Amino acid sequence: MIGFWFRGLFRDKSRFIFPFTVVAVGVALVISLVGFMEGVFMGMIDMTASFDSGHLRLVNRLYYEEEHLRPMDRALTNQREIRDWLTKHSAPNMDWSPRIRWAAILDVPDEQGETRSQTPVVGMAMDLKSPRSNEIRRLRLKSSLIAGTFPKGSNEMLMGIQLAEVLDVAVGESVTLIGQSFDGGLVTDNYQIAGLVRFGVAAMDKKMVLIDLADAQNTFYMENMVTDWLGYFPPSAGFDYYEEVKKSMNTKLADWVRASPQDWAGDDFPIVLSIRDQQNFGAIMDKFWIVKKFVVGIFIFLMILVLWNAGILNGIHRYGEMGLRLAFGESHWKLIFNLAIEGLITGIFGAAAGAVFGMGFTLFLQEVGINMGDNFAQSGVMINDVVRARLTAGAVVQGIVPGVFASVAGTLVASLAIFKRSEANLFRELEAG
Amino acid sequence: MNETLITLERVSKVYRVGEENFTALNDVSMAVGEGAFMSFVGPSGSGKTTLLNLIGGLDRPTTGEVFFNGASLGNMGRSQLAAYRRENIGFIFQTFNLLPVYSVYENILFPLILNGRKESCVRERVESMVAKVGLTEHISKKPAQLSGGQCQRVAIARALVKDPLLILADEPTANLDSENSLQILELMRELNREYKAAVIFSTHDEKVTRYIRREVRLEDGKVSWDKRRDGAEIET
Repeated sequence: MIGFWFRGLFRDKSRFIFPFTVVAVGVALVISLVGFMEGVFMGMIDMTASFDSGHLRLVNRLYYEEEHLRPMDRALTNQREIRDWLTKHSAPNMDWSPRIRWAAILDVPDEQGETRSQTPVVGMAMDLKSPRSNEIRRLRLKSSLIAGTFPKGSNEMLMGIQLAEVLDVAVGESVTLIGQSFDGGLVTDNYQIAGLVRFGVAAMDKKMVLIDLADAQNTFYMENMVTDWLGYFPPSAGFDYYEEVKKSMNTKLADWVRASPQDWAGDDFPIVLSIRDQQNFGAIMDKFWIVKKFVVGIFIFLMILVLWNAGILNGIHRYGEMGLRLAFGESHWKLIFNLAIEGLITGIFGAAAGAVFGMGFTLFLQEVGINMGDNFAQSGVMINDVVRARLTAGAVVQGIVPGVFASVAGTLVASLAIFKRSEANLFRELEAG
Repeated sequence: MNETLITLERVSKVYRVGEENFTALNDVSMAVGEGAFMSFVGPSGSGKTTLLNLIGGLDRPTTGEVFFNGASLGNMGRSQLAAYRRENIGFIFQTFNLLPVYSVYENILFPLILNGRKESCVRERVESMVAKVGLTEHISKKPAQLSGGQCQRVAIARALVKDPLLILADEPTANLDSENSLQILELMRELNREYKAAVIFSTHDEKVTRYIRREVRLEDGKVSWDKRRDGAEIET
């Protein structure tokens, strides 16, 4: 029987094309919009995690509480023991990256050794030289390097491209780093610019310098010490899992602190933070999910509204058919069921077409992106200048499921008018019509 | 003597129109035998269509009872009435009411599909029905490509294809010219003889009365005349 009605459905353009188009457009818009929102937001999360917060971060609580002052004397010593502990007590397949966050003044001397240019910079030290290090891949430095090479020898640095322009320096030139040692003393050290990097984040391009971890430990007198351990999960892990592992690690940390390595200060107390705990990301994430649900919800509501009206118009257009079907002995329930199936099939076809368009457009935005560098230049937001959509299975599901649901719901709501009418009334309208 | 198919016992139907009550049928009683070929005749508002609706199980009487083969329609629920119509009743309408997106073949197939029959099992039956009403060469056409007379032939075939015991035809010739009307009436009489399905017309077309074997005249919701064509009055 269903096949018989579908023949009619596909032949009658007025009852197929419009709902099909509404669902297709709605689904395409939801997929594109969710894909774009997730792309922008997840891009920001990835960038923040890669450079700054990790998915998890082990840090001395005393350092974290005064992080803005870069209190290097609160860094954690016993690098090897900490790595062993992290490997043993975190999740399998997690990659832990030791970092030193630092801040300094870069001074560029002229031929006479006088200051030619000078500016404060923020820096990050990480393992850039060891072959087993994942940092270059994680920070996508290969594609970001626009001049020079990665540091190979000692005291070489990578510099943000805009910072190099401000300082008027090029690859191969030397700069003097003037900073603060682990114990608060003044340190100066010369570095050679090995490469220039376009991070793609305006704030970093203007202020960021990367040096190798071993060089930083040497410069800042921090042998066997780092300020942070950033932990990275495989891409398949979700935010809930981050929290689960964090909780478990913090419980185990309390035991470890009671029998801490002997070089730790008495008040050293490492803590594990997730990305949600840092820079208010938790609240931002929560709001983002709410906004996303709200946007998807509005689209579903609008789709149902339009499809409901389309269903009513369609119902009026098909009163004759409905009256006839009831007169010929199709029960109300069967009629409504068949209409729901029609709505379902229209929804599935519309959603499939919408998914193809939506995925195509999202893929386009994922590959090409939108350059918003001018807007971000003054913002300091850690987000890539070229914002890209991200095509995820979640975005496709969030488009398709509501699209199909809206089609069925719209049809059913419109069918209520038929369901409430008696056969005789429909029959009279059939005769009048 | 044929067995009684339909019995109406003191049937009344009152509609509420605004603040007023309108009596469409008033204390109507009659019996209709199997294979009958009869009409309800009367002016507009006399209660013809209401009577057809009650017999067809599309509406319920305000008082009285309608019986089909001895079973009271009043005791049937909505789904039972749907099954009653699906299995026993064929409808023919003044405005044909063919499904515009379906072909002649598919329109005739439609009641069998509602009865849960598979198309492959009833294809021959539908095609022979198309042939019976003389539309074989138009079998793939849509209703919009047919004349009024041809549309009504499709409607007749659609009403008969499921072998109903009763066909209710509401003003079937009202939208047809004289020639087509006569052809349709001739066809219906032939099919009534062949298929033995009782046919009840509602009409005010005098031409119809020349073909039927029994005429029930309605005035203001009451039976004013119930006669066979041979002039014999029928007791109710």
